[in-house]
Amino acid sequence: MNLFSVHNITAGYGKQQVLDAVSFSINEGEFVGMIGPNGSGKSTLIKLLAGNMAGTSGTVEFKGKALARYKTGTLAREFSVVHQFAGSLLPFTVYDFIMMGRFPHRSLLEYRTAEDRESVARAIDLTGIRSIQQRRITELSGGEARLVTIACALAQNDRIIILDEPVANLDIKHAMLIMDILHDLNRAGSTVIIVLHDINLAAGYCSRILGLKNGRLFLDDSTERAITYKNIELLYDTLCITGTDPVSKKPHVYPVPGYVVRK
Amino acid sequence: MKSAVKILCGIAAASVLVALSVMCGTRFYTPAELLDILSSDRSSPAFSVIVNLRVPRILMTLAVGASLSVSGTVFQAILKNPLADPYLIGVSSGAACGAAIAIVLSLDYVWIMVFSFIGSLAVIFVVFLLSKRLKLGSTPLILSGVALGFILSSTVLLIFAVSRAEKVHQAVMWLMGDFSIARYDMLPLMGVLSILLIGLVFCYRKHLDVISIGELYAHNLGITPFSVRVLFWSAAFLAALSVSLCGVVGFVGLIVPHVARKAVGPLHAVLIPSAAIGGAFFLMAADTLGRSLAVPYEIPVGIVTGFAGGLFFLFFIAGGREYA
Repeated sequence: MNLFSVHNITAGYGKQQVLDAVSFSINEGEFVGMIGPNGSGKSTLIKLLAGNMAGTSGTVEFKGKALARYKTGTLAREFSVVHQFAGSLLPFTVYDFIMMGRFPHRSLLEYRTAEDRESVARAIDLTGIRSIQQRRITELSGGEARLVTIACALAQNDRIIILDEPVANLDIKHAMLIMDILHDLNRAGSTVIIVLHDINLAAGYCSRILGLKNGRLFLDDSTERAITYKNIELLYDTLCITGTDPVSKKPHVYPVPGYVVRK
Repeated sequence: MKSAVKILCGIAAASVLVALSVMCGTRFYTPAELLDILSSDRSSPAFSVIVNLRVPRILMTLAVGASLSVSGTVFQAILKNPLADPYLIGVSSGAACGAAIAIVLSLDYVWIMVFSFIGSLAVIFVVFLLSKRLKLGSTPLILSGVALGFILSSTVLLIFAVSRAEKVHQAVMWLMGDFSIARYDMLPLMGVLSILLIGLVFCYRKHLDVISIGELYAHNLGITPFSVRVLFWSAAFLAALSVSLCGVVGFVGLIVPHVARKAVGPLHAVLIPSAAIGGAFFLMAADTLGRSLAVPYEIPVGIVTGFAGGLFFLFFIAGGREYA
């Protein structure tokens, strides 16, 4: 089933245009990785898909209906979003924070139903954070905090998940752990849309790659066809060589020092 | 079982505090005297002092304290600023301006109330309009609230400069926050409204949690502008009502939510009732001190909360780690 279709979307902040005539569509069950240099419009595209902002022209549809025509609460039940800057000034416990993911599933007067507790327990098990569930979110390490925001999203909706750089600045253990969790969900039928800076993580996990450059969709192909040295060199303006990971047999990218194009 | 014991202890402690507060005042009554007065002659002056003055005044401080404190809790969550309070966005300066005008025009108490209520709501309305341009919770919005405050306090000073001295004195007393000026026939209205509004805020307790974690997340979790508006106006009305009844009682809306959050954590399902109870008893205690410390004079409650609250806050911040 077709989930998101983006037609000719142009968007920006004030006079600055960030996305220029971008079109693509995403089907159920895909694991889509968005890559591209800093400032290429990846986060803006995520905000458009998540309904946080509207484009200046073009349309974004979700399940065949314009995103803007959905109620906020309905969309919150349809998919979950993990944004770049998560967290709170307030020292909620990990459990209470993840419980917030259940917010769209409750009416005004309902408070923590049995179903909510079940979902939260499942999200905690999936992310393996049972041991820290009574800690305060303000006292967690970067990796733990990221796992907690992902657990919150899973408690909200684990069928369609949109993530903006969920593994940035994490050590490889936490990065691989998060990617493995998403991989397992995808194997179970969930749709994952994820912004990644690490091309090799994208190559290792995603089934499809969208590459953005200067606000335009530069690359949209299956991972095997997208991750070639030519595509990556043009996308990032730097010299690369590619190989094959001997274990996973997935393409692998090695940037070559000293060859980045300076403007 | 454990929580039942806690609740019983809480009720017992609250009753003791209220009883103490009834005993204190211009004249101190021992519990025995108090029982004696209440059980004997209903026409005695002592009976009248206790039933018509002290008890309504205590109930008023409880209602106002709970209202200001809950209002502060809500503003801190929706403005995402732990230092926000209802006065920061101009509730107090609007009320002060309205009241100063009414006092200088020698209007009746009811009109002082009406003017200050309208004044504070007018300022909140301006802040509300600004919040459509500047995001709620953004620094520019808070700064424009502060700027409005400056404009209005200059207006108040201008009014003082051209008024007679005794009017200025009366207005200053009002500005300090003073329960001796409150009219207790307003008590039922204030009681009912504050309970209704605090109840409404409590219905939105899980919204407050979600709103406090940031705009993008709140949006993707399904928080609507409508629910934010409900909270904004409930908190604004709670503060405006309080201020129009007994003047600008400072610090309650800032300190009590802070201390309550330290004590019970940030989850609003627990925080709102705690802040309400904490605010009610804090203000009652402050007012009791104010009317018993310097007999035969009364220290306006705003001065007591300012001193006690300011000192307490200072130690609280100096002792805490997370305000770096």
